[in-house]
Amino acid sequence: MIDPITPSATAVRSPATAGGVDLTTVRTGLVAGSAETGVDFSTMLTQLSSRAAGVVRNAESVSIAGIQGTATVQQVVEAVMAAEHTLQGAIAIRDKVVAAYLELSRMQI
Amino acid sequence: MQVFNMVSRHNQWLAVRQATIAGNIANANTPGFRAQDVQPFDMAVEQARLAMAATRPGHLDSGPAHAPATEMRREAPWETSLSGNNVSLEQELLKAGEVNRSFRLNTSIARVFHRMLMTSSRI
Amino acid sequence: MLDPLQATLRVGASGLEAQSRRLRVIAENMANAHSTGRTPGADPYARRVITFESQLDEAANANIVRVVSIEQPRTTFRVEHMPGHPAADANGYVRLPNVDLVVEAADMREANRSYEANLQAIRQAREMITMTLDLLRTT
Repeated sequence: MIDPITPSATAVRSPATAGGVDLTTVRTGLVAGSAETGVDFSTMLTQLSSRAAGVVRNAESVSIAGIQGTATVQQVVEAVMAAEHTLQGAIAIRDKVVAAYLELSRMQI
Repeated sequence: MQVFNMVSRHNQWLAVRQATIAGNIANANTPGFRAQDVQPFDMAVEQARLAMAATRPGHLDSGPAHAPATEMRREAPWETSLSGNNVSLEQELLKAGEVNRSFRLNTSIARVFHRMLMTSSRI
Repeated sequence: MLDPLQATLRVGASGLEAQSRRLRVIAENMANAHSTGRTPGADPYARRVITFESQLDEAANANIVRVVSIEQPRTTFRVEHMPGHPAADANGYVRLPNVDLVVEAADMREANRSYEANLQAIRQAREMITMTLDLLRTT
């Protein structure tokens, strides 16, 4: 897992983490300055949203398995928790992006 | 975050240990039954494995922490009955209490970090 | 079942059942400690003994306990001279049950202890499951 809360933007450049998306890193990466990012911003957002959706889908299937009795309680709880904080972060970023876009659209040219 | 993975692995190991302890308690009066315990949970090994997985994404998680039950050889047996049964209820209950305490600590840690992540995401 | 905590519940339950049956056997022995036969020379009540065995549940990798048998081990009965008793033989001797109340009482205390211990194991497992589920609670 990537070391979280690193202000360095290199964290954003290596999206292949062992587990779910580490959104604290992504966020600080955005704040630090996009000039250094090697990844296209829109690509990064797409990856983010697809990974968030993946985590939620995984939580759903594990929950169903838990109901059927083929998954343990611990597995269900872990999957749901991971979905929770991944989704939370993705929503926060989405809100920021939308707000930024609205700001842009209000700019007088 | 690393802490969630560690908590997950440790709790899985603790659950298996509790099942083994319960097996000992249930068989406290079974003739010839030898008390069992699981392999110790090696924190250092687990941490190294997690660190490896972080640096090389190809290292996939191999599933629940392995905790095969092994026959326990007590250095100072509290008791061994005539039939060869060496289960000591007191010792087993003490272990069960320890397991629960560790489990409680782990879940509390997980809850705290989860809350921190949830609140920190509300930027 | 692949959940070790669920397996623990099952193991504990098997322990409870085994100890309950053991307590019943002990109670029967105690109740019949003085039960002689009805007719001359008839056998009195014979002490019953319960035997357990462990069984490995493959899926759960846990040892449950089962009752193998409830037997009457062969021992000689005590004999007392009580002429006039319905079960007295030609010489006036009555055979009495081979139940020692002191032994039975001690056994009963042991069985109670084991029962409580199994109960405790079940409680612990239930707590662990509850603690895990509580992680999902928002309040």
